[in-house]
Amino acid sequence: MKQPLNLNINGENRLMLVEPYYSLLDCLRDDAQLTGAKKGCDEGDCGACTVLMDGKPVTSCLVLAHSAHDSAITTIEGLADVDGLSPVQKAFVEHGGLQCGFCIPGLIMSATGFLQENPNPTEEDVRFAIGGNLCRCTGYARVVEAVMAAAQEIRETS
Amino acid sequence: MTTQFKVLERNYPRVDAYEKVTGRATYASDVYLPGMLACKLLPSTRSHARIVRLDTSKAASHPGVRCVVTGTDFPDFRFGSGALRDRYVMPREVVNFVGEPIAAVAADDEAAAQEAIELIEVEYEDLPAVVNPLSAIGSGAATVHPELENYEGYGFTLGHNVSTLLDADRGDVDQAFRDADVVVEDVYRSQGINQGFLEPMACVADVEPNGRLVIYASTQGPYQIRAALASVLEIPVSRIRVVAMELGGGFGAKLRLAFEAFPALLAMKTGRPVKLVNTREEVFTMNGPRLPVTNYIRSGVMQDGTIVAREAYTIFDVGAYLGAGPNSGIGHGIGAYRVPNFRLRSYGVYTNKIYVGSYRASGVADMTFAVESHMDRIAHELGIDPYDLRVKNALREGDVSVSGAVVPTNGLMNTLEAIREKIDWPRDLEDGHGVGLALCEWRSGSGPSTAAISVNDDGTVSLLTGSVDISGSDTSLAAIAAEALGIPMENVVVSKRDTDQAPYTGQSGGSRIVYSQGTAVQRAAENTVEKLTALAAERLGLPEDALGCEDGRIYVMDNEPQGLTFAQLAAASITSRGGPIIGTASLSSMPYTPVFAAQAAEVKVDRATGQVKVLRYIQAQDVGTAINPMAVEGQLDGGVVQGIGRALTEDQQFDPETGAVRNPSFASYLMPLAIDLPELENVLINVPAPDGPFGARAVAEPPGFGPPAAIANAVYDAVGVRIKELPLSGERVLAALNGQNAEIDFDVDALRRAEGVAAD
Ligand code: FES
Ligand code: FES
Repeated sequence: MKQPLNLNINGENRLMLVEPYYSLLDCLRDDAQLTGAKKGCDEGDCGACTVLMDGKPVTSCLVLAHSAHDSAITTIEGLADVDGLSPVQKAFVEHGGLQCGFCIPGLIMSATGFLQENPNPTEEDVRFAIGGNLCRCTGYARVVEAVMAAAQEIRETS
Repeated sequence: MTTQFKVLERNYPRVDAYEKVTGRATYASDVYLPGMLACKLLPSTRSHARIVRLDTSKAASHPGVRCVVTGTDFPDFRFGSGALRDRYVMPREVVNFVGEPIAAVAADDEAAAQEAIELIEVEYEDLPAVVNPLSAIGSGAATVHPELENYEGYGFTLGHNVSTLLDADRGDVDQAFRDADVVVEDVYRSQGINQGFLEPMACVADVEPNGRLVIYASTQGPYQIRAALASVLEIPVSRIRVVAMELGGGFGAKLRLAFEAFPALLAMKTGRPVKLVNTREEVFTMNGPRLPVTNYIRSGVMQDGTIVAREAYTIFDVGAYLGAGPNSGIGHGIGAYRVPNFRLRSYGVYTNKIYVGSYRASGVADMTFAVESHMDRIAHELGIDPYDLRVKNALREGDVSVSGAVVPTNGLMNTLEAIREKIDWPRDLEDGHGVGLALCEWRSGSGPSTAAISVNDDGTVSLLTGSVDISGSDTSLAAIAAEALGIPMENVVVSKRDTDQAPYTGQSGGSRIVYSQGTAVQRAAENTVEKLTALAAERLGLPEDALGCEDGRIYVMDNEPQGLTFAQLAAASITSRGGPIIGTASLSSMPYTPVFAAQAAEVKVDRATGQVKVLRYIQAQDVGTAINPMAVEGQLDGGVVQGIGRALTEDQQFDPETGAVRNPSFASYLMPLAIDLPELENVLINVPAPDGPFGARAVAEPPGFGPPAAIANAVYDAVGVRIKELPLSGERVLAALNGQNAEIDFDVDALRRAEGVAAD
């Protein structure tokens, strides 16, 4: 039986009825109609479902929806505002850090969460931060370049 | 970089970049329709068995279940994905591999569908199965397809489990071997490989009020899916519309009909939309990967390093069905070299495993591993430098390729030279460090292509092609159109693919899009310019040859300020002439254009663990004109990293008894992560292709071919052991360091005898 669940998603309070066995990922996709977070494996192995939960990157397929009750969730849909793309999004566009794009919401969320913690990373740090995100298309080179560029942009504008 | 082009040879973001970084790009699994049902599949638990009883009654009456279908609900029709019509879309009587779907359920939600799947009762009668392709060839082995000879498409083979045989011959091979100073012989084995696309197979089927089927697909070939669906469902092609959604990676795995027929039939039976999204385990166990390949290779060589003869016998395991192919690998048995005499054979062999699929130039990576490892073996046998041996034998312009086509102008030598400079070859490194080379060759893909460009009355154009965007091809096609029309990239709108709207085109695969589809776009643009010029000539009262086209306008050559913009011409045409201006072009094939790449790996081998670490990876590829260098490099990076995975960690394993996939998850099938990789270095060589659009060549395939051989050669350079079997895992390298490097069993004489070639 579906149970009430309260989440703050991308700054908006949402009260939803959600199956008790649903993962946060299924809840976001099926119930909140936010399909940006992707299901690449549903087993915690690919990172495509990464969202921020209270500011920290989590693989949402491994989080039970109801265990996230009352927490603040940021998904890829919540990054860009009326002024345009976030620095990380912009850097991925400009540096060609994407191809098929299926891994990209997860990668961008991992990178966004990470740069909030460490705005001054080395390339090695970045590689570790996205170490749980599989990407089959890019070979990561341009992804790493994009995250480094975003870090710089964030430093310069903050 | 200085350039003669206005748009090309510059870096610009992909046309779909914004939708992708904002999470707005819509993939098939993102399609949610009102009243949509969820579909789940029941996999076979047997490798080869007769279905004696399949009782779906409990499942059908389970709460929430709307429909259950099995093989007999589909028309009695055998279709094929490769050269042979060897399979039912869902088996009717006999299952041929563990994982083969034998029933599909549509229910209100996934949970109910899965519960129903577990209520289906199956009774099997096991049949003798065969798992190892080398034993499957032998006469004593169980037969996978007893009716093989009756299948449509069946040609000459050795029969029994051998589904296909490809061959290529030139010269007097046996005499050349007798004349050779040295003969070098090897057997290589490459492992099963999963394509590893991140988006699982997904599809939503819907039925329009008029009964027409709509498929929202994750596919590289919407027209091919439409045709195959029409056959297996026995409905006319015109009753099916396939909408190609954003594609979350395919690499060949999504070229053909996969599971779309299941939700399609369920939607037709229930009148409701039905969604099927595979789990990752299903992706690994139901949808064709690459299966292991064994390559026997032998060369006759003169003391000075000249290769005079080559013989290669390849055994491709094709699993239960010929899901792809026969394979292109065989044509690559001589590599990028001139070899005057050769005998090349490749056998496709059925086994009771998951059927084989396509993956980024199927078979060529396996062949390149063998050929390029073998080149180093020859070099060491003769005491010649491996780089010099490659230069000595490399194909030159004017040589004849395996297929008989003459090799046109190309940058092969430039790629070798670039690699030599980059790594400062020959290098003398400390113990445990090594450098290895590999030379890769491919051709630019050909096939039916068509494009239409309509001019809008604001001066922009809409570009319509049927090609699904893989590897950023939409962006490249827009750039080609912009260049040919003399307008900025932003003024080209690329439409999304839908078989109702876009003209027919071949699949997106084999590095075909930019080279062939790009040529169609270039010609359609030229056709558009002709039409614009004709209209301008009429309007201005001047002959066409007095007019030029630049910056989105047709102008008078003697008086540049005088002219008409595309916007003015489009508006004029709509109101006063034959309607909107549309330029079109179609082509069915393109001339042979090779693509060459030289690569080098620098590795460090840990003698205690056998662990191989790649410290540097460099590739130099002749890409012709680089339409968008940033995108080209993205292709090179992505391809080479797939190749590094193939070299070191990826290994699709099969149970030796049942043939079942043993590691169906990303946790057990190890693809490279960002932390595993060295810095990637690319050198773009730009020798324009004589026929490609503005001189562009195909890009995406060769990068992945080189790493297994380059890394194996580097390991040999580092620690002196020759590994002939992939992947080069720590375990395998350590065993070799301990002197336990098993030779691979391969009875080539049996194959020679079977076709009447004298064994020696
Ligand atoms: S879908 Fe959550 S990690 Fe893959
Ligand atoms: S861009 Fe395709 S998986 Fe990362």
